[in-house]
Amino acid sequence: MRGSFLQVSTEHRGLVFDPRTKLLLLITMSTFVLGGIAGEKLSFLLPCFCVLPFVLLLTARKYKTAALYFILYTGSYLLNLLATPHLTGFPAFLVLGCAGILTRFMPSMMLAVYVVSSMTVSEFTAAMQRLHLSEKIIIPMSVMFRFFPTVADEFSSINAAMKMRGIAFGGKNAGKMLEYRLIPLMTCTVKIGDELSAAALTRGLGGTVKRTNVCKIGFHAQDVIAILFCAGCFGFLILDVAGVL
Amino acid sequence: MKTEKLKGKDLINVGIFSAIYFVIIMAIAMLGYIPIMMPLLCVIGPVLCGIPFMLFMTKVKKFGMILIMSIIMGIMMMLTGMGWYALVVGAVSGLIAELIYRGGKYASSKLAIVSYGVFSTWMWGNFLPLFFNPDGYFSTRQSFGQEYIESLTNLMPMWMCPTLLVTCFVFGVVGGLLGKALLKKHFKKAGIA
Amino acid sequence: MIEIQNASFRYANSDSGVLDEITLHIKGGECVLLCGKSGCGKTTFTRLINGLIPHYYEGEMSGNVTVSGLDVTKTELYETARLVGSVFQNPRSQFFCVDTTSEIAFGCENLGLPVSEVESRIQKSANELDMVELLGRNIFKLSGGEKQKVACASVSAVQPEVFVLDEPTSNLDIDAIEDLKRTLLLWKSQGKTIIIAEHRLYWLKEICDRVIYMDKGKISFDISMCDFTAFSDEKIRSLGLRTLCSDHLRIAAKIPVAETMELQNYHFSYQQKDALCIDSLALPVGGVIAVIGHNGAGKSTFSRCLCGLEKKFKGKVSFDGVQYTRKTMLKKCYMVMQDVNHQLFCESVEDEVCLGMDEDNEKDVSGILSGLGLAELSERHPMSLSGGQKQRVAIASAILAGKEILIFDEPTSGLDFEHMEQTARLLSSFAGRKTLFVITHDPELIVRCCTHILHLEEGTVLEQYPLTNENKARFTGFFKV
Repeated sequence: MRGSFLQVSTEHRGLVFDPRTKLLLLITMSTFVLGGIAGEKLSFLLPCFCVLPFVLLLTARKYKTAALYFILYTGSYLLNLLATPHLTGFPAFLVLGCAGILTRFMPSMMLAVYVVSSMTVSEFTAAMQRLHLSEKIIIPMSVMFRFFPTVADEFSSINAAMKMRGIAFGGKNAGKMLEYRLIPLMTCTVKIGDELSAAALTRGLGGTVKRTNVCKIGFHAQDVIAILFCAGCFGFLILDVAGVL
Repeated sequence: MKTEKLKGKDLINVGIFSAIYFVIIMAIAMLGYIPIMMPLLCVIGPVLCGIPFMLFMTKVKKFGMILIMSIIMGIMMMLTGMGWYALVVGAVSGLIAELIYRGGKYASSKLAIVSYGVFSTWMWGNFLPLFFNPDGYFSTRQSFGQEYIESLTNLMPMWMCPTLLVTCFVFGVVGGLLGKALLKKHFKKAGIA
Repeated sequence: MIEIQNASFRYANSDSGVLDEITLHIKGGECVLLCGKSGCGKTTFTRLINGLIPHYYEGEMSGNVTVSGLDVTKTELYETARLVGSVFQNPRSQFFCVDTTSEIAFGCENLGLPVSEVESRIQKSANELDMVELLGRNIFKLSGGEKQKVACASVSAVQPEVFVLDEPTSNLDIDAIEDLKRTLLLWKSQGKTIIIAEHRLYWLKEICDRVIYMDKGKISFDISMCDFTAFSDEKIRSLGLRTLCSDHLRIAAKIPVAETMELQNYHFSYQQKDALCIDSLALPVGGVIAVIGHNGAGKSTFSRCLCGLEKKFKGKVSFDGVQYTRKTMLKKCYMVMQDVNHQLFCESVEDEVCLGMDEDNEKDVSGILSGLGLAELSERHPMSLSGGQKQRVAIASAILAGKEILIFDEPTSGLDFEHMEQTARLLSSFAGRKTLFVITHDPELIVRCCTHILHLEEGTVLEQYPLTNENKARFTGFFKV
């Protein structure tokens, strides 16, 4: 489905993790790889983290994405390794900069791709509810997920209208392109939003009782393994900081 | 304007504008696929998003709406693999932005622009890990040699850190002014602001 | 059940839809039809019952509204929600979730019902509404009719005593209306009270027992359905209402059309699924062609291909011995979309119509604007206009851009009789000068302005015929009116 962020239906899924486990994995990943917190002594953890998204993508049967990740990551890693001794000056700056940032961001991004492509909106909402997040955050987020496809639909209608009017990039209209796109987009979306508010309120949104959620989520064996892994990583970190290692 | 509790309508408004805002951010972030372009995101993002945000500001009348949007952006960054750094920064900047706008009883358009500038600084959070503890990170890459480490530190030298923060704020203000102008031109006349 | 005393209301920022001293009593289990011209206050009336007035829409309110003893004006909306369920006009904008099951659960979740109870209610309403196959689907991929069904199921799951429907069929085709009719009959058999505000009346004959006609915020008459159906055709029309049955459809005299244009190789598929499969098709130039067919028949794919909006589309159009490809068709065609807001970009009507204009037409601007009754509005912001005015602005811009083929997507959805007739007159005024395609589910519009019928089904042309009195049976057969 074009324009949606999380998934809508649960077809074609492989191994299922609880959404909370996925969020924990994301946090661990961004702490150790993206944040580079793992110091010298913990460097043995890095390869594990880099392989993790690959394995998870395979379990979710996203073979193409997994292959893409594998090629991009090993590619930029090899580039780093092989090109470093031969390059100086600006080319070195460019190549190493790109490759360096890629190797650092890729694992985390790909894990995110895995999470987003294997989680439904209702699972995510249920997870946030179980984590005792405030309804004041959960409700706007549900609305946001519901509005992504709407914004995409509206945008493509506006684009079609612009094509028929012969308004395209370039020419004297170039500066106005953005205005012509964003203004109708916002007008239409806000209008839909007003109607949605009315409809949601007549169905009891915003009551004082605690909302229930019919989406079933829960921890399984695979979750326990993943959580132990994350806990282990943070455990090592604490030991490292405390100077025990 | 007395401070009331947020109601369903307000929360839905936050959701709608978060959707528009995030879609624009994601569209711009495509540029970030070229890693060298990443710092430019701190310029284009705040400017473009000023347009929907200033419209959002006209709907903000109660405490919490700006803060919630800021936190949502943080959560979304986590979901897109940018880590939890933007969430932490966003919680702080969102609160400050909220207090600034509240200072003008949610009606002053000057404060709305400043508030948006502050709000925009959540984007800076995404760059934090690049400055965060680089020694620790590079120590694991000793095998790549000194040159590599120097290149990377040159790419993101330490002075860039505060610079990006200021960039976000300044271009946030620019975006706020742009949004304000378009608001006057279109939405007031169209009767939706 | 519902008691309304001296209720008056005026919106804070609009003069239309005012209510003036309404007093009314509706018994439990009654099914009431609210009708009247646009802006007569019937939508406002429904909002009074579901509590959106005064809790959501701001304005001046006086009087009392009680629903089974509950004072709606003083009760929070989430309390009223247990008692009154609402279905709205636009299926696109009234759902909160992205998948159907969560959507049906939404109302019950808000009430905080236990999970097992919510689940059994989802099953129950899905069974009752015969939509089990729609569970667990992506709402964005459903048709308008299916979306409306999900909306009904969602309201039904809350099990309210009163159902309020505000123009629920505006965006639906004939089959979807039949479905909705079945749903309403089910609710009626369960003894629920139903209040429905509608323009299209024919499908409600067997459902409603009582008809309330509103005019300028007051109740003009309040009679039984039996008395109402006895009204003469002229009387219905003078009240500004849509027709009650098909015998009253009279086909207007048409201008004969001689030339034809030829569509070739109209094939298109989405994701390996054939959406359009027409080898060749001859259509009258200068005709007003009604494009009809069920949901998913390929009507919108057809129009998108005709306009040249589909990049991968290879079909061609030839007339006057010239062959036009996709790109040239993009210059010749213009579609007036169902939501006209998508195609208004500028800050004044004049700028709007001049944008993308053919330079030869510069001197015609004021002539065309006044011809469409837009002369006084030329300084206004297009978004601040009424729906019909916006439609005319879009048409003006198409004419000035030198477009020869105009396509209208559902131009009369949600319009009352008067506005529908206005649109029909506007469309027929182009007959012979431009070629018009009208995608519509509105038989009353078709008989008033169309010269030809193009009936699509499953991506192919089922039939194609000029609309004359001899062919009337074919046409009314499709609309089951």
